[in-house]
Amino acid sequence: MKQYILGRVIRSVLSVMAVVSIVILMVYLMIPQSKVFKNDSILIKLAGKPDEIAVYKNTKLEDLGYLDFVQQQDLCRLSEDYDRCMEAGSAASQELKAEYEKKGYVFEEFTNGLLYATRSYLPHELVLNFFANFIQIDSPNQVIDDDNPDLERKIYIEKDYNGVPAIQCSGCNYQYLVYFDSSFPFIHQNWITLNFGISYPTYSGLDTWDVISSGQGELDTREVVYETGQTGTTAMNLHACQYKPSATIDHLDQNKFNSNYANCANNYKSPSMINMSYIIGGLGLLLAYLISIPAGIYMARKKDQWPDKLGTVYINFMIAVPSLAFIFFARQIGYALGLPDKFPQYGFTDLRSYVMPVIVLALLSTASLMIWTRRYMVDQSNSDYVKFAKAKGLSQKEIFNRHILRNAIIPIVQGIPSSIILCISGSVITESVFSIPGMGKMLPDAIKANNISMVITLTFIFTALSVFALLIGDLLITKIDPRIKLSSKGGSR
Amino acid sequence: MEKKVLLSAKEVEVQFQVRSRVLTAIRRVSLDLLEDETIAIVGESGSGKSVFTKTFTGMLDTNGKVTHGEILFEGEDLLKIKNDQGWEKIRGKKIATVFQDPMTSLNPVKTIGSQISEVIIKHQGKSKEEAKKMAVELMERVGIANAAERYDEYPFMYSGGMRQRIVIAIALACRPKILICDEPTTALDVTIQAQIVQLIKDLSQEYGFTTVYITHDLGVVANVADKVAVMYAGQIVEYGTVEEIFYDPRHPYTWGLLSSLPQLGIKGEDLYAIPGTPPSLFDVIQGDAFAPRNPYAMKIDFEEEPPMFQISETHFAKTWLLDPRAPKVEPPKAIRNLHERILQMIRPEGGYYGGE
Repeated sequence: MKQYILGRVIRSVLSVMAVVSIVILMVYLMIPQSKVFKNDSILIKLAGKPDEIAVYKNTKLEDLGYLDFVQQQDLCRLSEDYDRCMEAGSAASQELKAEYEKKGYVFEEFTNGLLYATRSYLPHELVLNFFANFIQIDSPNQVIDDDNPDLERKIYIEKDYNGVPAIQCSGCNYQYLVYFDSSFPFIHQNWITLNFGISYPTYSGLDTWDVISSGQGELDTREVVYETGQTGTTAMNLHACQYKPSATIDHLDQNKFNSNYANCANNYKSPSMINMSYIIGGLGLLLAYLISIPAGIYMARKKDQWPDKLGTVYINFMIAVPSLAFIFFARQIGYALGLPDKFPQYGFTDLRSYVMPVIVLALLSTASLMIWTRRYMVDQSNSDYVKFAKAKGLSQKEIFNRHILRNAIIPIVQGIPSSIILCISGSVITESVFSIPGMGKMLPDAIKANNISMVITLTFIFTALSVFALLIGDLLITKIDPRIKLSSKGGSR
Repeated sequence: MEKKVLLSAKEVEVQFQVRSRVLTAIRRVSLDLLEDETIAIVGESGSGKSVFTKTFTGMLDTNGKVTHGEILFEGEDLLKIKNDQGWEKIRGKKIATVFQDPMTSLNPVKTIGSQISEVIIKHQGKSKEEAKKMAVELMERVGIANAAERYDEYPFMYSGGMRQRIVIAIALACRPKILICDEPTTALDVTIQAQIVQLIKDLSQEYGFTTVYITHDLGVVANVADKVAVMYAGQIVEYGTVEEIFYDPRHPYTWGLLSSLPQLGIKGEDLYAIPGTPPSLFDVIQGDAFAPRNPYAMKIDFEEEPPMFQISETHFAKTWLLDPRAPKVEPPKAIRNLHERILQMIRPEGGYYGGE
């Protein structure tokens, strides 16, 4: 069993990596580089300044991981005499140029005659670069700050500003590596972070993971006591502070913080995109199961009688009506009953905002859930053990609840983890119609905007979640079906 | 010794609605089950053996209906029971059934123990602990070793023969008056068949219930049955003690059935087969249903249905050959003097070698 799970986890990780690699190759190699800057307003401002355009474009492409970009000053640092090398057409620069051309760099000249060179990464380098920088483990040697030579390098356990013990670090990127607070899931960490790259051109400059996982909307301000003892009102999450180089530390920072960890993330009032989709999707799913499973069972019990026929009419209706039409129709009904037709109208704190999206999401998935539940139940009702249970003198209710349901629920249970976890991907149509700030629109928007980092990030998240949801589903059925044993070798039990 | 009548079926007729056509599966059958006896119902597939016994427990498929007759059991007409609640007091408690395939008769995802104790809890109102104790005793009684340990195991951990033992244990959990065994050994291999048949026989003597065997296997019949009912096209055509049916059969269909038994065949000769096929039960049958396949058929066989002729106190047959006006006909040579060959099928101590 343990061996099987280990094997499955390894295979799952490999398949996620394979999918992500394919997507990396697709987005880097098949989207023309010119498309990347299609909507960049900075380029319009730079019009008529070809040197600056070249520097801007190539710096951006380097940030996005397309290529390696070097200018003459970078080359000349390698030379013995920097100043002479920096003259246009200098012998030293020509030497370095020849050396770099051998490595595959393509040289061009600025209008002032200085050189710059680019080298596009080869396909395998693109993939390797992504995975090499993917997992970042914070360590006391992370911070490089020449202005602060006395910075201590250590990991220690100390009470935080709330008086709760936390694993802290000096010299790491983050001050708090592991800490506890009152928000779910109560234990948090900054030790290991996943680096998906920088979002561009939408949410430009932000970490893609931060875009989807940090809060939205207005800042959430609170009264806090800073490390120095000063009190103030701030939205800063004092647990999520990063090192700020000494050169940029100002007077205000010094009033609040004892150390250089003054670059803090903010708290927001609205949940992040992921959480938003999760709340609405999760509630919708719960409602869908609560409706469909009893309804499916009841239809099976009353097979060919009017409740079954009525249910079949409902299922046919739900399948036949296009979901977009159904969502607008339901939204109008909700509007007529005084419920908001747009989520932001009352915001996320108001329960009324959730009613219609949750109902719509639930009803949309009831049809298939009902039809499968009914079908599994009916299939099982024709089994010999049901006939025998009847001959034993059990009532129809006992047979359904104790015998048939136990068997029919197995395939349904297997699908539950997938449904729960994949709520995270949001529902494109429902979220758009109700203007819910969730994950639903992220992937299509990212594709439309050529936001390659975001596409890769979302691909990774969705693939990883699907693969692991399948694994959890498989583990779950071993709990309810005694015949199924997980084993790395076939045949044994 | 006069035995009490336990269950009495009178003029039972069963019809099925099959795609807007009516199929008469059982055509006015009467049968008495006596206390503590074993009765075997034999006949070819489709003759109505199973359907007839299903009327005792109200287990007909939803498109089937008893359209005539009555079944008296403990002073009550079972056919007056209209809903499942009424039947729950009979099924499992008074009349239990063992089905053909033990591999599928048990719920695969419930423990063996829970499937036995659930009947005890339901019908005898015992607590869970008491039911478990009784279930373990039953498991031991039907021959499961380490019953207490195997109580919490699942059906897939049991072999076919062991599962059939469990099915028997479940059927007998409430000490029923009647046990209907619907081809209980067909799905098992020959040695296991013999063990299961022996087990049912022993238990019937110990617990004192009436056993109804539904079977094709005349070997089983010869070994365990007291009485035999031969069914053809929805009717009992001959009924008598096992000796009368085997040594003095009167109905041409019984002759054909016995002649086609492989165990009774004569080495070197072709095995006998009854020519033709049974009549369609969708149509009204004119005269004797067996007439078209009957080499001894007379003109009247095609015109009028024969009555039940009584041959002895216990022996009845439904054929015009028994009419005083009919010509004297001898049964075929193959089934005369069956004594010795049948004795070979039965071990002296009462054991059974099995069919094939």
